[in-house]
Amino acid sequence: MIELQYYLSNLPDGLIYGLLAMGIYISLRILDIPDLTTEGSFGFGAVVSVLVSLQGHPVLALFAGILAGAFAGVITGCLQTKLKVHPVLAGIITMSGLYSINLVCYSLTEKGATTNLSYDKNTVFEKVKELLGIRGQYETSVVKAVVSLGIVILVLCIIVWFFRTHIGLCVRATGDNPDMVSASSINVDRTKIIGLMIANALIGLAGAMASQSLGYSDINTANGTLIYGLAAVIIGEAILGKRGPAIGVLSAVLGSVLYKLIVAFVIRQNLFGEKSANLMKFTCALIVAITLAIPAIKQKAAESKQRKAAR
Amino acid sequence: MLEIQNITKVFEKGTVNEHVAIKDMSLSLKKGEFVTVVGSNGAGKSTLFNAICGSFMVDGGKILLDNEDITYKSEHKRAREIGRVFQDPMKGTAPHMTIEENLALAYTRSQRHANPFSSAITKKKTAFFRENLARYHMGIEDRMKTKIGLLSGGQRQVVTLLMCTLSVPKLLLLDEHTAALDPATAEKVMEITKTIVAENNITTMMITHNLKQSLSTGSRTIMLDSGEIILDVSGKERENMSMEDLIQMYSMKKQKEFDNDRILLSSEE
Repeated sequence: MIELQYYLSNLPDGLIYGLLAMGIYISLRILDIPDLTTEGSFGFGAVVSVLVSLQGHPVLALFAGILAGAFAGVITGCLQTKLKVHPVLAGIITMSGLYSINLVCYSLTEKGATTNLSYDKNTVFEKVKELLGIRGQYETSVVKAVVSLGIVILVLCIIVWFFRTHIGLCVRATGDNPDMVSASSINVDRTKIIGLMIANALIGLAGAMASQSLGYSDINTANGTLIYGLAAVIIGEAILGKRGPAIGVLSAVLGSVLYKLIVAFVIRQNLFGEKSANLMKFTCALIVAITLAIPAIKQKAAESKQRKAAR
Repeated sequence: MLEIQNITKVFEKGTVNEHVAIKDMSLSLKKGEFVTVVGSNGAGKSTLFNAICGSFMVDGGKILLDNEDITYKSEHKRAREIGRVFQDPMKGTAPHMTIEENLALAYTRSQRHANPFSSAITKKKTAFFRENLARYHMGIEDRMKTKIGLLSGGQRQVVTLLMCTLSVPKLLLLDEHTAALDPATAEKVMEITKTIVAENNITTMMITHNLKQSLSTGSRTIMLDSGEIILDVSGKERENMSMEDLIQMYSMKKQKEFDNDRILLSSEE
């Protein structure tokens, strides 16, 4: 029972970070752009969310997080398209710039200069608990999981619907063959910006929800989100394969939940010794590197086999 | 229909690599005219197409399409009225998207004011696409949900051609669109091209390296060299022209250049 509770307590985070994975799936797989804005937009979503929540509007804070992320995405998009900055550099520029902006945001309250802010129970999850009169650690996990699941399903539906609309089709084609999109009288710059805006809006929402789930927002919560998202996308693809955008975003969420559970398992069992938790980012990088290398390794193996057979 | 007035394009201006790609070129096309364009590599054929499509802005001169000045219009806005098919079958289609998705996207050109959040693919549209594909007996119409990357080069070119002409453009530019195909397929794609152009009376320019084809297709032939039009024939004069005449004209021009070079080199001694 304690085991089950332990893994259940990791489920909400898996779902929330699934939104982040969806965002990364959209920029990486659909738009075919390596977007490094992630840690900036995630942190921006988190700090904007805590500021709005402290005014007593935790639900509105989620929308604020979406807007914050979308804003970051538009900046990166404009840098890439209008100003012709290399996509990787454009992301790095926005991310670095946002770090300072986030710091400024943290010192906006009467507390003065600080790098973290507590929600003081002004979170969506606390409100739901209050509404239902629920207490206790186990129950809290259940409430968090249900609320997160609801929001993730809602967002999933919206994204799937979006990619079936005309503008969604244009965004997809932009990642596949931009020349053809332009030849079809569609403004490629605009579709790229829209795509990056949506991707980072999801990441901003993930930042807002993740910090609400924690109960506080810290400048460092965003660290490692990019590699986490990549790992989630890749694990998702390993399970469901590379198919259309609908299966794609779903697989990203699935990958995120699974990854979170794997991490929970590793830490629980102390697979890497006493300090397993410290090696999480390394594990993450290892998973991503190995999975990305598999096609090349397979090819090398096939080639050497062929060479041997020829002899 | 298309009016090109004294356009010039110089690449890498002011550097040692300065290269005049188009030199003070003028050209006028009547509605429904089918012009074949010939010339050696580097003559400026593709540069001319790029200038018309708006891949870059010309350094001087004017381009008018149907009496509208498009010299400074952006590429995607010009694409509403100009269809273009490239030599490379990969270039005109999105490989990871289905045939119907590709067609639906290209069909945007006719639906400029449609709601962006409307369904991309409707039954009505699919039926319309199928009907049009079925006419060319390439066996594509039953594979609407197939990813375009799985089609053969010839099939992809036919789909691209349809994508460019389903909403009829004012001008169609064919950039050696059959050059990468095997002879039989090339012929079939050429037949389909002729049918589509004739049915819709589309003003067309086609680049080709096949001199025989350049005289047998369309109603007018122009030859480019070093960014200039060195030959422009139509009507009776063209009918009486043979492939040998074309080659001769071309080598005459080249011979002259060669002589010039020789004079230049010998004078340096």
